[in-house]
Amino acid sequence: MMTLNAPDRRPSVLHIFKVYYPDLFGGTLSVIRDICTGLKDTFAAAVLVCSRSGGAPEIVINDVAVERVHSYGDVLSLPAAPTYPWRLWRRIAEHDLLALHAPFPLADLVFAFGLGRGRPLVVHWHADIVTHAGLRFIVEPMMRRTLRRASAIIVSDPVLVETTPLLQEFADKCHAVPFGVDVAKYDRPAVQPADVNTRGRLVLACGRLVPYKGFDVLVRAAHSRNFEVWIVGEGREREHLEQLIRDYGLQDRVRLLGSVSESERVKLMRIADVFVMPSVTNAETFGLVQLEAMAAGRPVINTALDTGVPHVARDGIEAITVPPGDPAALAEAIESLIDDPDRRRRMGQAARHRAVTKYSTTAFKEGVETVYRTVVAEEASAAKDVGSSAPASRPLTAGGLVSAIQIAAALAWSDMRHRYVRSLLGPFWMSLQMAIMVAVLGSVIGHFSNAGAVARLPMLAASLTAWTFLNSVVLDATTALQGSASLIKDRALPPVIFLLQCTFRQALFALHNATVPLILWLALTPRDISGALIALPGLALFIVCTLAASLVLGALATRYRDIKPIIESSLTLAFLSSPIIWTPEMIDRGSTVMRLNPLTHLFAIWREPLATGHVAMTSLLYVLACLGALLIASVVTVAQLRKAAFWI
Amino acid sequence: MVSITLRNVCLDYPLYGAYDFSLKRRLLGRLFRQGSEMRTIRAVDNFSLQAKAGARIGLAGPNGSGKSTLLRLIAGVFPATGGEVSISGNIVPLLGLGAGANLDFVAADNVNLLLRISGRKPTPEILDEIWAFTELEDHMRHLPLRMFSSGMLMRVLFATATAFPADILLLDEWLSVVDEKFSAKAEQRLQKMVETAAIVIIASHDQGLLRRTCNTIVNLDHGRIASTIALDPPTTFPLELREKRA
Repeated sequence: MMTLNAPDRRPSVLHIFKVYYPDLFGGTLSVIRDICTGLKDTFAAAVLVCSRSGGAPEIVINDVAVERVHSYGDVLSLPAAPTYPWRLWRRIAEHDLLALHAPFPLADLVFAFGLGRGRPLVVHWHADIVTHAGLRFIVEPMMRRTLRRASAIIVSDPVLVETTPLLQEFADKCHAVPFGVDVAKYDRPAVQPADVNTRGRLVLACGRLVPYKGFDVLVRAAHSRNFEVWIVGEGREREHLEQLIRDYGLQDRVRLLGSVSESERVKLMRIADVFVMPSVTNAETFGLVQLEAMAAGRPVINTALDTGVPHVARDGIEAITVPPGDPAALAEAIESLIDDPDRRRRMGQAARHRAVTKYSTTAFKEGVETVYRTVVAEEASAAKDVGSSAPASRPLTAGGLVSAIQIAAALAWSDMRHRYVRSLLGPFWMSLQMAIMVAVLGSVIGHFSNAGAVARLPMLAASLTAWTFLNSVVLDATTALQGSASLIKDRALPPVIFLLQCTFRQALFALHNATVPLILWLALTPRDISGALIALPGLALFIVCTLAASLVLGALATRYRDIKPIIESSLTLAFLSSPIIWTPEMIDRGSTVMRLNPLTHLFAIWREPLATGHVAMTSLLYVLACLGALLIASVVTVAQLRKAAFWI
Repeated sequence: MVSITLRNVCLDYPLYGAYDFSLKRRLLGRLFRQGSEMRTIRAVDNFSLQAKAGARIGLAGPNGSGKSTLLRLIAGVFPATGGEVSISGNIVPLLGLGAGANLDFVAADNVNLLLRISGRKPTPEILDEIWAFTELEDHMRHLPLRMFSSGMLMRVLFATATAFPADILLLDEWLSVVDEKFSAKAEQRLQKMVETAAIVIIASHDQGLLRRTCNTIVNLDHGRIASTIALDPPTTFPLELREKRA
């Protein structure tokens, strides 16, 4: 099958997250980067994120195309990027797989609305929403919808599935793929036990300076002890932490190093004596940074969160686990390690061993790749995407209607293209005919009244174009269903498609014909654009009325074959008795037939604004009433069209 | 989950006579109480069927026994008169291969349009692959379909119709005009499609074909189930048979 055996093309995956390099550094970002680079032989990656810094909207980082949507800053920890959902929706169709890095409610919004159902979705569950938990009641239903729609959920540690209520609901889709760390990066000068400074008292912590990282706890723990604390990272908590350090008078022992390069961070990891990850909330699901410290052979102190954190570095083996948010316990643990170089060495070796054996980059890469591949393969074989599925002609749902319109448009487009195949000018032949008709009728009607015949020409041409459109739509509709019998009965396409096709096709032809009135208008009138703008809503009403009438009449003419001749003769009569080639001013304004004729008003609602710049209110009301009736009739018709297959 | 459930489904097929399509007759008839009540024929009578993923159902029976009508009912072409129909999964009905072909258009345009009708975006690779399957010469892509022989036409339409996998595949008397070589190839492809589709329902007079592809055969008579035969899963020997024939 086509979709299955296309090995030469890498399927493309779109990573969806709120921020990416170079605007920020951090654990989640390095995970996304590792996925992109690790899987580059099998998946073509692209990243769609928000960016505050402005700059180029599309950049390339490590051979990965990164599209950045402008954000106006952060509101409630979310980038305020109003165009992000729209951009995401536009991008979805271009990729074979979507990888959402949760939590990111802005993207959930897109999936909650059911957009992008045509593509398989994998959710990388990085963390639950912990900050702003008060707003959870809004976000959670959206996250649930996203997870329900997802084909697979990737978590970093199996314990997350047990402890996160939202994930429990979808436990069967969850795959635990622990993050990996490139151990080789940390062992260029091989880690020697001698590296461990026996008098060492350097404590290192890394992470964005945000509240959940709990660096304030670490600063408090340093109070009235004698170890040194270096904190690597940048973030909005910086001022608060600086204030705290000053308050405790710790400037000489606690240093905020700010952002450092990756190689610099590796070096720091290797000279530190103890690595601390004092995170205080479950937003810390794994702690990639403690894994890096483990790779560097450092003993770790982490916190007893309900997440993967205490499982990555285990209490008593690679780490000491303390209760979160407890400065005293943290200080105790740090001191116990500072005071015991031997234990530091043992823990460091155990940590390195665990990083090498349990958390290799290859295992992570393969784990993610397996999930991606399975999902893409399932999608290819199931091909049950709503957006591009063969339309089953069950009663029309909203999605069904959209695909019906798409098919009708495709059919109409091919009809028009085919006119061009047959002749060089295509539908412009009809425009030529229209031009001749306008010329002849214009010269004849010029003798009816004393007003300038030439000045009337643009309006005459516009009216004739509109009439040709209405006339051909209705005539086409009377035979459309019979003409498409095989598609309706053999391919089970909804009959309404072929009635829509008539309007679409004739609209395309009308655009060709519209060149005649347009040229005349440009040549013969003062080109007042405002009147034309006011006429547009009226013109839209005209088209909607035509469409609704064609639905009703088309269905009726298919059910009762004797209606078609009636419609044909009525159209001729209507053409003559409505002010199309003549204008109401030419005859007695009091004509009752003319005033009751809905076509009079249907033309008036866009001709009046064009001619005078004013909207004809009575005509507008009359047309709206007619449209209401037509819409009700259309709804009944569409319901009855279920039986159309019996009629043809 | 892909499934088809039909419970006591009935379908009354209205028989429109020459005059039943006339509105005048209808109105006047009502006025003068002329006996013109609609005659119907029960095309599907109290039919029940339960199919889950993996079902391959063959429909057999004489002409007019309701095979095609039943397939159209499942496809959603005809609304059921009574009973319960619930279907989940996307349906690909291949009830007549000619459906949607416009003989005046060139072959490539037709393939394009047919793909769009089934909601697929025609890409150059897919078009090339479809054309490769037809084994027709490349320059024929730009000839109108009316220049094609019926067998060639069938090749193009078949290759297009089966280019994508389906959840539920409905097939009605396919492959009648193509030559033996292509017939074997087409059957192989359908076999593959049957393997990937979750549910397949085939109506055919060809008992051999039904036995090769299906695991249940339902014999229909006057819209009723005359008998149901459960078969062992298709074995491998039909493949050899087909190769010999090719």
